[in-house]
Amino acid sequence: MPAAPASFLDPAMLARISDLALLARTVVDGFMHGQHRSMRKGASLDFAQHRSYQPGDDLRRIDWRVYGRTDRFYIKEYDADTNASVVFALDSSGSMDFGSGALTKFNYARFLIASLAWLSQHQGDRIGLATFVGDLVDVVPPSVRHLQLLLHTLSRTTVKGTSQLVHSIDRLGLVTMRAGIVAIVSDCYDAPDRIGRSIDALRVRGHDVIVFHVVDPAERELPGDLPITFEDAESGVLLPLRPDELRSKYQTLINAHHLALSKRVAAAGADYVRVDIDQPLDRALHAYLDSRLSRSRVR
Amino acid sequence: MGFGFLVPAFLAGLAALAIPLWMHLRHRDKDQPYKFPSLMFLEQLPIRTSQRQRITDWPLLLLRALAVALLVFAFARPVLTRQGIAGTDTRSKAVVILLDRSASMGHTSVWPAALDSARRIISALGARDRVGVVFFDDAAEVAQRLTEDKGAAAAVLSSAKPLPRGTRFAPAMRTARQMLLDAPYAAAEIVLISDLQRAGTTGIAGLDLPSGVQLRGVNVSATDRSNSAVRGVDASRISDGTRTMLAVKARVSTRELTASRTVKATLILSGREAGTKTVPLPASGETVVTFDPVVALASAVSGTVTLEGDALAADDSFFFVVPREDPLRVAFVLPEDASGEETLFLDRALAIGRTPEITLDRLRAAALNAAVLRDAAVVLLWDVTPTASGAELLEKYVSDGGGVIYAAGRRLGSQRTSSSLAPARITGTADRLVDRGGTLTQLHLEHALFAPLRSTPEALGGARFLRYPRIDAASGAEVLARFDDGLPAIVERRVGSGRVLMLATPLDALSGDLPLQPAFLPFVRQLMLHASGRDAVPLWRTTAESWSLPDAVRDPVVRIPDQSLLRPKADSMGSAVPLADAGLYSAYAGTATGAPGAYLAVNVPSSESDLTPIDPKELLLGVRESERAAVTSGAPPTNDELERRQNGWRLLLIVVALALLGETFMSTRGWRAVARRYRPAMPERSEP
Repeated sequence: MPAAPASFLDPAMLARISDLALLARTVVDGFMHGQHRSMRKGASLDFAQHRSYQPGDDLRRIDWRVYGRTDRFYIKEYDADTNASVVFALDSSGSMDFGSGALTKFNYARFLIASLAWLSQHQGDRIGLATFVGDLVDVVPPSVRHLQLLLHTLSRTTVKGTSQLVHSIDRLGLVTMRAGIVAIVSDCYDAPDRIGRSIDALRVRGHDVIVFHVVDPAERELPGDLPITFEDAESGVLLPLRPDELRSKYQTLINAHHLALSKRVAAAGADYVRVDIDQPLDRALHAYLDSRLSRSRVR
Repeated sequence: MGFGFLVPAFLAGLAALAIPLWMHLRHRDKDQPYKFPSLMFLEQLPIRTSQRQRITDWPLLLLRALAVALLVFAFARPVLTRQGIAGTDTRSKAVVILLDRSASMGHTSVWPAALDSARRIISALGARDRVGVVFFDDAAEVAQRLTEDKGAAAAVLSSAKPLPRGTRFAPAMRTARQMLLDAPYAAAEIVLISDLQRAGTTGIAGLDLPSGVQLRGVNVSATDRSNSAVRGVDASRISDGTRTMLAVKARVSTRELTASRTVKATLILSGREAGTKTVPLPASGETVVTFDPVVALASAVSGTVTLEGDALAADDSFFFVVPREDPLRVAFVLPEDASGEETLFLDRALAIGRTPEITLDRLRAAALNAAVLRDAAVVLLWDVTPTASGAELLEKYVSDGGGVIYAAGRRLGSQRTSSSLAPARITGTADRLVDRGGTLTQLHLEHALFAPLRSTPEALGGARFLRYPRIDAASGAEVLARFDDGLPAIVERRVGSGRVLMLATPLDALSGDLPLQPAFLPFVRQLMLHASGRDAVPLWRTTAESWSLPDAVRDPVVRIPDQSLLRPKADSMGSAVPLADAGLYSAYAGTATGAPGAYLAVNVPSSESDLTPIDPKELLLGVRESERAAVTSGAPPTNDELERRQNGWRLLLIVVALALLGETFMSTRGWRAVARRYRPAMPERSEP
């Protein structure tokens, strides 16, 4: 797969584009440049197989011809290339308002979601949005006509407050009753196991989950070599320390966290994508597209 | 070279040292902390204490604290003093001589030694030295203000003599302090010439002497401290058939006699010798001398018990006054159906006690007339109300100074009657049988009625009252005690010159157990004395107290022990006379002729008889350490020298300015400036 032109996906360049729609289109066009367009339209149905009727199945789907021949109930199943529901969950807590470069994690996450939404719209999917802090804040239900509403909601969302990531993921399952794709964009400051259990719950409902873990380089490296007071962006707690003396231990901890998170998310049957905000968006887009395509066979 | 401050109060500003400390504890980076997404992992790390320590810049903190401290010292005006022994220099200085003239200084070997010491100190002073003289006993008297005229100072010494008074050093020291504060001095000394009795040290704790003043005690106490003294007298009237006799006992104490000996004690009554006794005195201890009873006049009798003279004559005589034999007559008005059992305890209680003797004149309400009231000091209405005519008489009787007591009981409670004279209205009877009786609470112990019970305020609280009348205090009446259910128990109202009391507390043993309590006897006795306006008069008092003259002595003139006359000024509290000297005080109405209206005997405190001195160093224990440490001696400094000694504040201000400049330089240069603007550098970009 050829790489997208970096100029269209470079975060520093994207930071200068204030219109989210334009930005998303720019990103997607740049990303799709030279790639195989695989967007499928329509609702064509290809027969896949028969299976025995189970109580609870839709009676309309019983193959009455087979019943006439065999005197047994069978259900017809199709390989359906349908429009999927995609719900983007954006973490807008205080910790997302951090960026050691041109972009904050929050802005990067907004660009990412706008681009993914644009991409999904052109795939014919229903797109929705849920922003959360301690609980869900703004919810845009999935719809094929909600792109502009989604982009408008994204543009007016602000970062503030203390994140309740696990609780918010639990609430995401209530946004759409129809199984679809849930894309969680967060900095994932919570215990991997707790996050994994919440994703398990989404998976049980039939959702495909993809976790975009937004990471700033400073979070990986713990910058600075002079004594300084660190302030927690969410709780305001102050902690005076010397970063240079703690860096190696901190990096061990944060790397262990990332590894544990990726393993636990994978164990839940979801996709984990670490997104470094100093990197272009294409990696995230690739990951999403792969996930989207893997879901093309739904029943 | 010593060091002190002209305005030490400014040193309180050292509390401002907390400001830089507080600033550093809040941490200098708090203004610009580095906002990080989450401290979730950093808080898991074992951060050393030094990393958490808020004070990260000790040099800067110390510099700032130094600047604040120096600024405070500059305002406190530091001054350099030269230290030395004031008594040995021959150059100009100020000396205040405090000469004790209390009764104990009258010891034959003490007073001459005290005068000699004072004269020696004066003669040792230089021509330009200044000297002041203060005589003191219970109080201080400036005999000579600070002067360079040594002759005048020596002359006032010859006018001094021991007086029959107590000893207190504190007033004298404060007087000397004020003299030294009023006149500038370069070196100063306070010389206390005394026999240094311990009792005199009362009140010197916390004494604040000016900086540079030395306090020196000159002990002139006698080497032979043997002494005998009359410590107290008990005098009472006794009945001997048809005559009233006066029985006098005296308590004699002895200290440090070389051997027991025998002395003659003499009793003088009303200026005439009334008896003598030969008293064997132990080497140390007390002896009671009992004089033969003598026929006493009905009027007040002044007396003196005198021992044979010893080296200290002031405590060999003891003055006392026996009040006139004027039994307090109580018109005891009883109801028709009153039984002897009802009043048994009251009868017995009032029969006990002398000075004054209390007699009860029993009568019925109908018998209350002007003749009865003329002789009665108190009318006690025992559960009965006066007749209409009797009430009118009682109103006038009280207005003229008489006392009326309503002892309300079951009869008045059932009648629910009251008169305009009563201080309370009776509304019924309270029955407390079901809860084992009520008790007394909310006693106004400061009231004269409860004076004998002040040391044992719970004494009346133990009494229980099964039935008592409910009373409501009338307008203008004062509730002196209440029952535990809130009802008034004792109410008093002043009417004219007299007073009316109502007691809802049963005084019989039928409705309560108050008569069975130990407090009953002093209570009912004080009740009668208080109602009559005659409080118990002590046989004597001590010097330095004050005598509130009785109201009966109008426009008083008082003859004091040195036979001079004093006309005290009256104020809202009446007239009072300070009891400066021991002896006999006589108060006359109008002019000092005829029989005195009141007598009072005054004696020196018994502590004057204890001739054991304290260590002169103990005098300094109460004086503030910082104040007595620095003593100056030398020639009076010139203005230039004084100015030079106080120049320290200028130097300190310069150092403060330099310190602040250094602080500015330190905090804005070098790594601190970098730290102020510091944002953690971006890490090296790692390959995704």
